[in-house]
Amino acid sequence: MTTTLEHKAPVIKHEGGGLARHQNFLTAMIGGVAGAFIAWAISHHFFAQDVRTTSDAVAVLTGCGWIVGFWLGIGALNAPLAWLIGSDQTRKDQLYYAGEDQGTKRYWKYCTDHKVVGVQYIVMTMVLLGAGGILAMAIRTELIVPGNHFVDQQVYNGFIAVHGMLMILALIVAVAGPWGNFVVPIMCGAKDMAFPRLNALSLWTLVGAAGLLLTTLAVGSLTMGWVVLAPITDQAGVGMDFFALAILVFTVSTTVAGVNTICTVFTMRTKGMTLERLPIMVWGAIIAAALGLYAFPYFSLVEALQILDRTFSTSFFIGNAGGTGWLQANLFWLMGHPEVYVILIPAVAAVFEIAAVMARKPVFSYRTAVAGMVGLAGLSILVWAHHMFTTGWAPTLGGPFMVTTELISIPTGLFFLVLIGTLWRGNIWMKLPTVWVFGFIANFIIAGITGIYLSDIPIDNQLHGTMFVTAHFHYVFVGSVLFGAIGALAFWYPKVTGRYLDEKLGRISFWLSFIGVQVTFLAMFISGLRGMPRRYASYAFIFEHTNFISTMGAYMIMAGMLVLMGAVIYCWNHGEPSGSNPWHANSLEWLVSTPPPLENFDVLPVVTEDPYNFGKELVRS
Amino acid sequence: MNRTKAIGIALTSVLLGGGALALAGYSLASATPHQTAQKCVPNPTKVGHCTLTISSYPDSLAGGHGKDGGAHPDWVSYLNQDLSVPANTVVDMVVNQYDGGEVLNNIFFDQVMGTIGNVAKYDGVTLSKVAPDHVGHTFTLRGYPGLNGQSGKRIFLNVPLIANEGENAVKIGSGEYPKPVVIEFSFKVGSKGVYQWNCEYPCGSSRVGQFGFAMASYGYMAGTLTVE
Amino acid sequence: MTNSNDNKKSLKSFYWLWAILTALGIAVSLYAPGYLMPESMSQTMHLSVLTMVVFSVAAAPVAAGVYAAALYILRNWTHKGDSVPAAGPAFRESGKVVITWTLTSVLLTVFLLIWGLGALAADSAGSTANPLVVKVVGQQWVWSFEYQGQNGTTVMSNDLYLPKGREVLFHVTSLDVTHGFWAPQMGTQVDANDETITDLHVTPNKLGTFDVRCTQFCGLNHAFMVTQGHVLTPSAFTTWLNAQPARS
Repeated sequence: MTTTLEHKAPVIKHEGGGLARHQNFLTAMIGGVAGAFIAWAISHHFFAQDVRTTSDAVAVLTGCGWIVGFWLGIGALNAPLAWLIGSDQTRKDQLYYAGEDQGTKRYWKYCTDHKVVGVQYIVMTMVLLGAGGILAMAIRTELIVPGNHFVDQQVYNGFIAVHGMLMILALIVAVAGPWGNFVVPIMCGAKDMAFPRLNALSLWTLVGAAGLLLTTLAVGSLTMGWVVLAPITDQAGVGMDFFALAILVFTVSTTVAGVNTICTVFTMRTKGMTLERLPIMVWGAIIAAALGLYAFPYFSLVEALQILDRTFSTSFFIGNAGGTGWLQANLFWLMGHPEVYVILIPAVAAVFEIAAVMARKPVFSYRTAVAGMVGLAGLSILVWAHHMFTTGWAPTLGGPFMVTTELISIPTGLFFLVLIGTLWRGNIWMKLPTVWVFGFIANFIIAGITGIYLSDIPIDNQLHGTMFVTAHFHYVFVGSVLFGAIGALAFWYPKVTGRYLDEKLGRISFWLSFIGVQVTFLAMFISGLRGMPRRYASYAFIFEHTNFISTMGAYMIMAGMLVLMGAVIYCWNHGEPSGSNPWHANSLEWLVSTPPPLENFDVLPVVTEDPYNFGKELVRS
Repeated sequence: MNRTKAIGIALTSVLLGGGALALAGYSLASATPHQTAQKCVPNPTKVGHCTLTISSYPDSLAGGHGKDGGAHPDWVSYLNQDLSVPANTVVDMVVNQYDGGEVLNNIFFDQVMGTIGNVAKYDGVTLSKVAPDHVGHTFTLRGYPGLNGQSGKRIFLNVPLIANEGENAVKIGSGEYPKPVVIEFSFKVGSKGVYQWNCEYPCGSSRVGQFGFAMASYGYMAGTLTVE
Repeated sequence: MTNSNDNKKSLKSFYWLWAILTALGIAVSLYAPGYLMPESMSQTMHLSVLTMVVFSVAAAPVAAGVYAAALYILRNWTHKGDSVPAAGPAFRESGKVVITWTLTSVLLTVFLLIWGLGALAADSAGSTANPLVVKVVGQQWVWSFEYQGQNGTTVMSNDLYLPKGREVLFHVTSLDVTHGFWAPQMGTQVDANDETITDLHVTPNKLGTFDVRCTQFCGLNHAFMVTQGHVLTPSAFTTWLNAQPARS
């Protein structure tokens, strides 16, 4: 319906790029809005108004119009459509798409260079975390004292749903997006990803999905927590349709990215780069990608059935029409638990990588580290029903799921072994990335141990659905994953920009965030233990003090994140120059110049050993 | 980077970012529609009593939701939803019920509970219970006052509003309604706090419990009772 | 540039730190759950608090070990000065350490599992032949409770009344969306699902009032879906039940 855009622009064949010369983020937005408007106008015209299912159908079609228009506008469909009419891309075209000689303009375009995509992911992650963080502050502000003072509970309920979802999406891409794209291909000794165009597609599809998700805030009525489980979804308005569609689109993005990462690592490694010589970060990226390929189809399935229930009045999840909400809960958590490890594993792997370089020692027991990550990924697909211990679904399965869940402490324990073993007796270089690694260790142990309580049914029967659970997974996501992700940012930032992320600003940010996390979430554990349920817009007097403390801690985290953001922006152009290998590391991304040239290597390197032999450093500084 | 510069940049980031956030929060808080709470009118003849009058309509055309019913003219509604009463008084409440009705999904709510004497007057007739298949809405106020948490006085009050089956006779706002069924009851409130009330007759839309749309949104079938 | 120093240091201070942190952790573990969690009014809650204590005590040496190691590393092995640190000792594997660590974590996990499964079994067993059956109905955003009154009548209440010392079997259901029926002082909860009845049993062993809260997000007034429960003596309970109007 928006193919008109295809023909308006003049085609300049001789310089390469063709239509893509006129496409960027702006045309994508225009295309998206135009697509949405056309789809809305057509469906609105044909469907009767004020009938429940048709308003949902209009919303779904409008969302589809947005994403198709967005794809056309950014140029995602140029090459496939050109191929269909028999016109293949020339080498010049490919170089144009890879952003050759385009300066900063290429960051706004459908660029196939994996390093540009990596930077786009950094920005995207920060935007998503920023939006989610603003909502977090709104939530904590509402909970500063009992009663509704800042917003009413309807608005608040929308905040918790969108905050949760934005943060989950942001963290799924927080490490795997920027560094899985920027450094992993270079680490393997590859000139680019296996499928450069798919790489750009995954990024811009994520941007489209984020647009849909933010639309839910604008149209309201997504008010059921980030899990968004039936039957309460049936009471929601069109916000629910945009949400379901956002997830469908998002899973396209993760699937494309996951396939790409795995193919790159398995087919594009340079000569001598055996699997055992891979930097540990690469293992984290492919294990998480593989787990994502298993998990996210459940997510698309849940949301596709949800859309059917809403637009065609099917009843997969509608209890009084033959379906059951438990079906959705099962499908959701079949995705939901592995997804936690899709988020966690790349952060853990990045922390291993940083620890080895900064301690000037090999990763301790490399194979145990890989086995731990594989074991965690494997176990994670067998534990989903621990999220459903108190639902009443299959009480007899409680025991078995308790067993699988508690087994998770074994691979998790191995992570600590590897980390402590790597740092042990090292010459620890206390630079900014190392600081965040120690923060990760301190927080991850609390996250792990509180997880053990919740895996135990007699305790879970008391604590399920309380703030204790909220505090637990915030220690996982904020205390561990985000700290690992910021460590990774500080570690690879010099490779992206040629400048250090400032040490002093970084440490101010670290201490604000670290103390803030302890204050916020330790107090939240106490709220939960004392009996405060989750997702409460208001609460009883007995929870007053711990909630006030949590809010103060949350403001500290916000201050820490703002300082970090200030540092990232300031140091991009004004930071202290770092040279191409500031940490004197041996993995391939540090051996290329900074910034790495297009296609990374003039001559592909030949690898003879793993990158952890710091004793016989090969590297100029 | 020297220390002064680092602290300068850190402070600038926090002040700029925090300022922007505070500004956004402030505009959000002021943009949230705050209905002026309907005040309980002190009774000149009875000391310690005040009178509060609200109405329930089959749609939103009676004038409280903007011209022609606002965004959802066909949603059922109470007017007003946000109520305000002085502390330690007896509230004499009058509900004008303009809407029809059918069967309750939980007969628990056919009983008048929590009012003085556990009774209410329906067009002058005193009843403690109504027919469960003939209920329009309920006025159900419960819980602890949000402001003071569980240290405040807990209230549980339920008054079923019987279905109005009259012919359209009066015009209010841009809607036409039958003559109202007038329901009167009294209850005591204690110290300061905010209570939440809503309707327990499933009169919204959705396939699950008919509690969607009007029932799930502020400004229609739910509101607050502020004791101040 | 090969480093001749293998950085071996006396581990005495590490062991001291570990011991002190463990002792601290155990002290907090013994004290905190009982102090922070709601007053126990049933054996189920008692078991829940006890399990918290046992797990915390079991986890204390692990957490203390990691913290002690991290602090010991920071204290002893951080590189001073602005130069690039020399390479550390290049040890890569230690079969002994990996096996010891893995076995320890397996043993700890098995212990937690045995305790947990035992507690689960203890809690599921002991259903008496004659429990008091209470139907719990959740709806947006009110709880109501149904009892069998005299002569087959039904009694309904917004407050939950329970007799002390008798097993109570809750049949929990919902008229609309999913709610979570939770009595914090009783230490147990189950979801109220539409079209389905879920069971929950508990034996109150202490007189007094307790809270009932909703733990599953259920919409607009979720935060206000609270009520109160009362544990009465058996005779007071019968008196209360008989004083209620029959509802059908």
